[in-house]
Amino acid sequence: MLAGKAPGLQHPNSNSILRGLIITLAYDDVNRTVTKRLLEKIGCEVTAVSSGFECLSALSNVEMPYRVVILDLQMPEMDGFEVAMKIRKFYGYHWPLIIALTASTEDHVRERCLQMGVNGMIQKPVLLHVMDSELRRALQSASE
Amino acid sequence: MQRQVALIKQSLLDQGYLDEQFMELEELQDDANPNFVEEVATLYFKDSARLINNIDQALERGSFDFNRLDNYMHQFKGSSTSIGASKVKTECTMFREYCRAGNAEGCLRTFKQLKKEHATLRKKLEQYFQLARQAGPKETARRPK
Repeated sequence: MLAGKAPGLQHPNSNSILRGLIITLAYDDVNRTVTKRLLEKIGCEVTAVSSGFECLSALSNVEMPYRVVILDLQMPEMDGFEVAMKIRKFYGYHWPLIIALTASTEDHVRERCLQMGVNGMIQKPVLLHVMDSELRRALQSASE
Repeated sequence: MQRQVALIKQSLLDQGYLDEQFMELEELQDDANPNFVEEVATLYFKDSARLINNIDQALERGSFDFNRLDNYMHQFKGSSTSIGASKVKTECTMFREYCRAGNAEGCLRTFKQLKKEHATLRKKLEQYFQLARQAGPKETARRPK
């Protein structure tokens, strides 16, 4: 799949919807580093964490209005779905937005994501323009 | 010299050592993060060395805990995918299939090949980054046809 440049990326003004705090959670160092950089490239301010605990701690910080959690479901030592469930349990279904990164698009993964109150899914490897448009879509529909 | 660097990269892509994802990483490089790809590669080889070690030890013990091996490989595949390490990724996939089939011999064979591919990629990337640093800052990364 070739990645082209989405038109939105050329216009800094249209990035205002993306400006905001994001948490990215991935167990794997490489994935976490790449996802963080990718998000920063599209204009987000990112906190990268490597555990569900860190993620929930960051969310509980009232001084940092995180809007989105980018959740890598591919984590050997922890269950990404469990993290999503905990987020929804503590913070409800409207905030923060959760976008799951998954290696597979199998139906049962999709279904579980919907059940867990995940707002969007992106298949890995994550492409810049895909992250950009999925984030915009999720933020747009949340604000409606 | 920049052309030499570009040619080396192209040959790594043509020979299948790297795939599109590597170029995606280059898109993330900019003036503020001029060595991003090399940093990620360094991180990858550090992590994967550890994983290889874990798998080596698990295999040496002789007891084939296919679940555990599959978990290691799932992780390995994930980071290999993120960096665009195409041949390594292929071996990871094959290893996981052998795990699911409970085929110990297949696992051992594939793992040997995987380590070979991994070492080759490491060497080639080291050469590539060294040259790239010598060549100086690039103009905007251009996608080869």
